[in-house]
Amino acid sequence: MPATRPLKIYAFDPTRGRKLNNYMTANVRYEPVKPGPVGEYLAVIDYDGANDRYYRPVDLDHPDVMIGGGLDPSESDPQFHQQMVYAVIMETIKRFEFALGRKVKWARDSSPKRDPYHGKLRIFPHGIEDGNAFYDPALRGIVFGYFAAGRSGVGANLPGQTVFTCLSHDIIVHETTHALIDGLREKFTVSTSADTAAFHEAFADIVALFEHFSYKEAVADAIERTGGYLYSAQLDPDVAARGAGAGIMAEQPQANPLIELARQFGDALGMRGALRSALGTRPDPTLLEKITEPHERGSILVAAVFDAFFSIYLARTRDLMRIGRANGAAGPGLHPDLTNRLAAEASKIAGRVSTICIRALDYCPPVDITFGEFLRALVTADYDLVPDDPHGYRAAFIEAFRARGIVPEDVTSYSEEALRWSPPEIDPKQPLKPCRGLRLDMFGDANPQRDSRNAAVLHGWASKNPAPLGLEPGETFQVFSFHPLHRVGPDGRVCFDYVVELLQRRDEKLDPKDPKSEIFPFYGGSTVILDRLGKVRYAVIKRIGNRRRLERQRAFLEGGARGSAAAAFTGPRPFDGLSFASIHKGY
Amino acid sequence: MPATRHKNIRIRMYRVGFGDCFLVTLPGAGAKPRQVLIDCGVHPRGDIKTMGDVVTNICAETGGELDLIVATHAHQDHLSGFGGFAQKFRAMKVREVWLPWTENSGDAAAAALKKKRLALVEGLARHFAAVRDPRYQAVNAALLNLRGNDAAFALLKSELGAALAYREAGQHISDAAGIKGLDVEVLGPPRDKEFLARMDPPASERYLRAAATGAGESRSLAPFPPKWNYKYDTPPLSDADLEYFKELADESGEALAFALTQAVNNTSIVMLMRYGGHAMLFPGDAQYGNWQFWLERKDAAGLLAGVSFYKVSHHGSENATPRDALDRMPEGKFAAMIPTQDTPWPSIPYSKLMAAVAKQTGGRFVRSDSISVHGAPAGPAAPHLPEGFQEGQLWYDYSMAVETA
Repeated sequence: MPATRPLKIYAFDPTRGRKLNNYMTANVRYEPVKPGPVGEYLAVIDYDGANDRYYRPVDLDHPDVMIGGGLDPSESDPQFHQQMVYAVIMETIKRFEFALGRKVKWARDSSPKRDPYHGKLRIFPHGIEDGNAFYDPALRGIVFGYFAAGRSGVGANLPGQTVFTCLSHDIIVHETTHALIDGLREKFTVSTSADTAAFHEAFADIVALFEHFSYKEAVADAIERTGGYLYSAQLDPDVAARGAGAGIMAEQPQANPLIELARQFGDALGMRGALRSALGTRPDPTLLEKITEPHERGSILVAAVFDAFFSIYLARTRDLMRIGRANGAAGPGLHPDLTNRLAAEASKIAGRVSTICIRALDYCPPVDITFGEFLRALVTADYDLVPDDPHGYRAAFIEAFRARGIVPEDVTSYSEEALRWSPPEIDPKQPLKPCRGLRLDMFGDANPQRDSRNAAVLHGWASKNPAPLGLEPGETFQVFSFHPLHRVGPDGRVCFDYVVELLQRRDEKLDPKDPKSEIFPFYGGSTVILDRLGKVRYAVIKRIGNRRRLERQRAFLEGGARGSAAAAFTGPRPFDGLSFASIHKGY
Repeated sequence: MPATRHKNIRIRMYRVGFGDCFLVTLPGAGAKPRQVLIDCGVHPRGDIKTMGDVVTNICAETGGELDLIVATHAHQDHLSGFGGFAQKFRAMKVREVWLPWTENSGDAAAAALKKKRLALVEGLARHFAAVRDPRYQAVNAALLNLRGNDAAFALLKSELGAALAYREAGQHISDAAGIKGLDVEVLGPPRDKEFLARMDPPASERYLRAAATGAGESRSLAPFPPKWNYKYDTPPLSDADLEYFKELADESGEALAFALTQAVNNTSIVMLMRYGGHAMLFPGDAQYGNWQFWLERKDAAGLLAGVSFYKVSHHGSENATPRDALDRMPEGKFAAMIPTQDTPWPSIPYSKLMAAVAKQTGGRFVRSDSISVHGAPAGPAAPHLPEGFQEGQLWYDYSMAVETA
């Protein structure tokens, strides 16, 4: 069996044409697929909801397709669209599995086992006619929209042309990340503060942006055109302008594609440029207090992560730049060897930073995530993998978060030690006994029998030790999820830990004084990390009995958290999960 | 009681159904009181057929002379009376008319926005009229409200022989409409770019297309030629899945319709009228985006703290009176009027806001639907009116004594 299946995709979106190495080949991990493509993780179903019809599914195993390394990029061929969403989503899954060191799972699937798509994420590349794309857990799928661009001010698009969100690399990765987070932390869709929705959006943007840096050719090109200063918003033109102003195309600078998201989409809706950018907000510690709109608030987190990334990149390439200068590389343009070395560094660091972020998800609380807690999770996760931090990754993160006013609660300082999660506080008279009898499986093979046995063991153990594990004694709780986690021990050996989500739920009144008040679900519990012997290493606790947290959530829900233009006319939405379709038009 | 009338400011809220119509009578310096009419409209789906009597009363009360008409924004439930009873208004003497700057056809940005909005509304209205599903009653009512205001604007802009002024945030008018001592601070609608962008929800070409072709239910773009169509032996989607996609398409149109409605509400003239030591806040139907703009001003807290009368915005809907704005109005020291009824949108007025207004005013408020009209949706009965309020045949009056120096 081959290791990979080469498939052609757009590195950005169709409007870039062949420029900037936009036509590229993704080497997708090989798996046998049926027409669709339908594989182990995904089922691409090309149902067009607006026209009530199916489009012919692509057969990636057909010799004509295989011999060309997949279909050629084309906007007019729906089968290329199917191929591209499949390839990009599989690459995103690979990115997560690489970071987490195990197989990913989608969120709970209520479909019957005999359903041919049970356990697969369903992908609808042309599901709706709308400038929108979204992940919907209820559908067990991702819907991509297509729409006609506006009549004017549409950038590189033709006025009125059909724009496909499923051909935007960024949009595909963004929506896939929503689905992947939902598989890891299902209750992150429960809106509990301004941070929860913003976190989902920000994380999806972070993963999408870092994906750009895995394409070495695109990175090398950007490095050459920014003199090594990768974070510049603009790339140098092909030639310097002569005389007053740029006269020909080659004299015009272009936007730096690495740090912007979904340009075609933004252009087509007349937004004049990319939808969002990695940087663009100056570090302002007061912004976080003012901004509550999920995408805008999320962009603060995105900027913090990218600030850290660029700091690390600059620190790690300073020597290269010095060597370059010492060899007389004066004037514009870098030596091609230097460009390649810088590109390799940038890709490597981007991969590392993205891995750190993804691994941090395992260290996040089960509900009610805040940006500050994400920083703590990130610092702890990275410490577990690289205890000594020789290149200052964690220091860069802490600094960048601090500059943007992201303040973790209940932490005494911004020092690494203070930020790391700690083991639970134990009453010395009642030591917390390790959880014995778990059967670890480091490969994540499906084994329902072993899973249900482990769940019973965990439940029995936690019900004997509720308080130190953040549970309210006497109230029911759920062992919501558990899976293995690898790290590098202090002696350099790879160790395996266990991540467990424990969850409790209370129905609380929105207005405690009103007997007829609306009810909302209030969740609590903890994320517990056990070592191989069942000893608790960390307990990340969100107590259900925490009044302050309850009051804060109440205030948030009362304060128009559900407010939308429609809410005034149709009444507020019930307190179910986030609706990605309606958060500011999805993407 | 003409004697008291001359010493008091009297705010008359008419019961028109679901709509706004306020006549503010100021004592004035001379013998005649001065008259300001703020909006005169009812929603077609919330019409209780009292508008004719209301307009007749306005003519009688004012002796056919209005110093100022303010039409806060382009919705039927604030304008329809001007269109429907144009004849009667034409016979009146009107000195000045105020409209929001967004209705100024001489302003290129405003005109372009309005043209696009109306085209979208047209497409959406046709689409939802053709879908015929009771589920879409709320959205149909919202769309209806956005259309059919041409007659009203024709009257207000040119048929009254009145001086026409377009209002925008930041304007400060002393002795407004020639009424000595009437001082108006215009708080909305703002004129900046960011606001305009918010006024312009991402358009859907689909509905623009429907408007252009005159089609009923909007037709979809066909992204690929028929050669790509495919028939499965066993279709991969269940009926429930297919239903999901069907609703999806309408939901996006629905969201757009409500976004457009809110955008127009946010073009409302928001004005603080000061007269004789009182400050009266008339926000039209301003919803969150419009309030937000001026609540950020440094003096916003001071403005609100000095309010002696508040016309509750947008019929008391969920997001039309920001909580912190209400909290900053002086507790127990101001009165409020709420022109509302639960038809056509059962979620308006919002019960929590009603409770909050009751608390903050110390009970000094009335709802227009407390006036009983045969066959009309009945609001809560108000047998004992708070001090300063009086009930008429089709209206409530609130009077405030004018302080004399």
